[in-house]
Amino acid sequence: MSQMASNRPPLTGEQWEDLQEERSNFKLFMDALSQYGSTQTRENTFQPHHTLHRPVAPNQITLSALMAAGAHLGHSKSLMNPNFTPYAYGIRAGITVIDMDHTLPLLRRAAKVVRGVAANGGSIVFVGTTTELATVVRKSAERVVENAYHIGSKWLPGTLTNRLAMFGAKTVQNVQITPDLVIFLNPLANLHAIRECAQNHIPTIGIIDSNVDPRVVMYPIPANDESIKTAELISGVLSVAGREGVEIHLEEEAKRKERSKYIAKMAGTQGPRREPERASTR
Amino acid sequence: MFNVLRKQASSRWWKLPAQPAVRHNSTAYVPPAAFQHVRRPPPPKEKPSSPTFYTSRASYYDQVISLEACISTAKQALKAENLYPLPDFARASIPPPQPFWKDQTSLMSLGSVKMTPSRYRRVISLLNQLDEYKRIAEVSGANELADNLTELLSEFENDNKAAILASSKRKPVQFDEYGRTYTSGKRKESSARVWVIPVQKPEESTDAAPKSEPLNLPASAPAISAFNHPQPVQVTPSNILINNIPLNKYFPIAKDRETVIRPLQLAGLFGAYNVFALVRGGGTTGQSGAIAVGLARGLAAHVPDVADILRKAKLLRRDPRMVERKKTNLRKARAAVSAIRTTLNLDADEIRRGPGSSGRIYYNIAFITQLIIILANCHENSLSPKAGPVPF
Repeated sequence: MSQMASNRPPLTGEQWEDLQEERSNFKLFMDALSQYGSTQTRENTFQPHHTLHRPVAPNQITLSALMAAGAHLGHSKSLMNPNFTPYAYGIRAGITVIDMDHTLPLLRRAAKVVRGVAANGGSIVFVGTTTELATVVRKSAERVVENAYHIGSKWLPGTLTNRLAMFGAKTVQNVQITPDLVIFLNPLANLHAIRECAQNHIPTIGIIDSNVDPRVVMYPIPANDESIKTAELISGVLSVAGREGVEIHLEEEAKRKERSKYIAKMAGTQGPRREPERASTR
Repeated sequence: MFNVLRKQASSRWWKLPAQPAVRHNSTAYVPPAAFQHVRRPPPPKEKPSSPTFYTSRASYYDQVISLEACISTAKQALKAENLYPLPDFARASIPPPQPFWKDQTSLMSLGSVKMTPSRYRRVISLLNQLDEYKRIAEVSGANELADNLTELLSEFENDNKAAILASSKRKPVQFDEYGRTYTSGKRKESSARVWVIPVQKPEESTDAAPKSEPLNLPASAPAISAFNHPQPVQVTPSNILINNIPLNKYFPIAKDRETVIRPLQLAGLFGAYNVFALVRGGGTTGQSGAIAVGLARGLAAHVPDVADILRKAKLLRRDPRMVERKKTNLRKARAAVSAIRTTLNLDADEIRRGPGSSGRIYYNIAFITQLIIILANCHENSLSPKAGPVPF
């Protein structure tokens, strides 16, 4: 087919225009006829890419959505970590089934933490160190916009414990290296990072599978860490919560600025500056 | 008050104080003078600016992410113009890629991160993808998009692009004042210099046979017949001289002659050009191959349309095959020495003396004694005239 195509002479400018016109006419034709077809269209039905591009809000996330993403499928029975028992529903076909009745409230708790950190102007790092998770963490960080970071490839050991060598003296002096919250989409592959966070007293959130000890992170979310859909869903929920927190923070900043402007204005109209009152001992 | 407490504690240092520890924050009174020297907490440091800060390779990942974003934007723009995805026949019209990207060391200067081969490969693949969209936009007339992409990609292009393009072009074959070309060819150890001269067409003379006139045959008449056949075309043969010797004399073997005239046959120019070649080195195969390459190059210069046919037949290419060198411990380039006695059961003496010593007769004392007795008997018997054959 391609050989036949290559034997044809190259298209002229007019032929390109004809091709474009033909396609656009076809599109218009289909769009016009679609209104007489089914009410169920591509736009209003679920598509596989929606978990990544249309994240769910924390108050909208449902148990069935988690199960549809395969979040309840743990690892095999022999690999189950004994500390994971509280979050295990049972075993079926040799696989640990994770209890979604625990997952859902823990996910919402983690979302609250993310919102709180973002509302206080804290920095959040999304960590997902496989090729598929790299896109997920990048989109999540981009959604939060302010003070959000992502790591899609290896966390270099010493990022926090050897910061002087990693970033240089000038950066260490001027920039806050320690983040305020770190979210792990695959904690088992990032145990060095988790240890560094613990050493630096950084709160951590992580998707904990049945072969992982839930105590490695501060706010575990027991779910399947090998499913991309699950990671997209959970990271989406957390990023929406982060965005809400950032909005709160920006609102408060704006209010603070207004207030200080007002105070400055009032102070200006009320004569020379008096000695400020001593702060009370609280 | 603090000093009082301290005294009490020091008098009973081996015992813990009985009363509960007094809290010195929240409820204690602190005089205002104490606030004169309070150090305010340092102003909060600014947060890192790049979202990829914690990768410790921020400039590289930022570059990659921005290129990926450009690719997705360009793709959306092409989709809006109904140029993506392209059908096969349209895709074949796109000009081939001619990438001249910056090399690894030059790309490193764009960011502070070390440009390893894997990172370089990733960046180049993204640039090639953008280049493809640029070519689609250029060839289809989406000029604004093409200009934007060209501007974006110019930052990554090699500064020596023009120089590289110029140097890669083969010098065109020159024609002298008589319309002759001079080309060369090589094969194995032979090198040939080939002059290709167009055959002079014979002058149209009045004494020649009458010109053939266009035949106006009725439809019912047969297509070809002996009476209606037009004048045969005058064919002039190609004269081929090699080292001033005609082709048939220089190459008595038919295969070599066929090798030499193959370019003319494939191009259908047999009879149109004369060939004069000087060839040196090698043997018959090498020399005939060298002449063929030189001849093909000359024909491609005279008749450019024929170049495609000759290229497909690999006649424009210098055959890179050369005689492989002999290696040590092998009989020839590849042939190994034939294996002799691959399984040897050697005892200690054989190992010392070497294999092949086991054919020797082992002498022992008993055998030597027997031999002496027999020889003695022979001697005795031979002295008496009535000696018969010695019983052995």
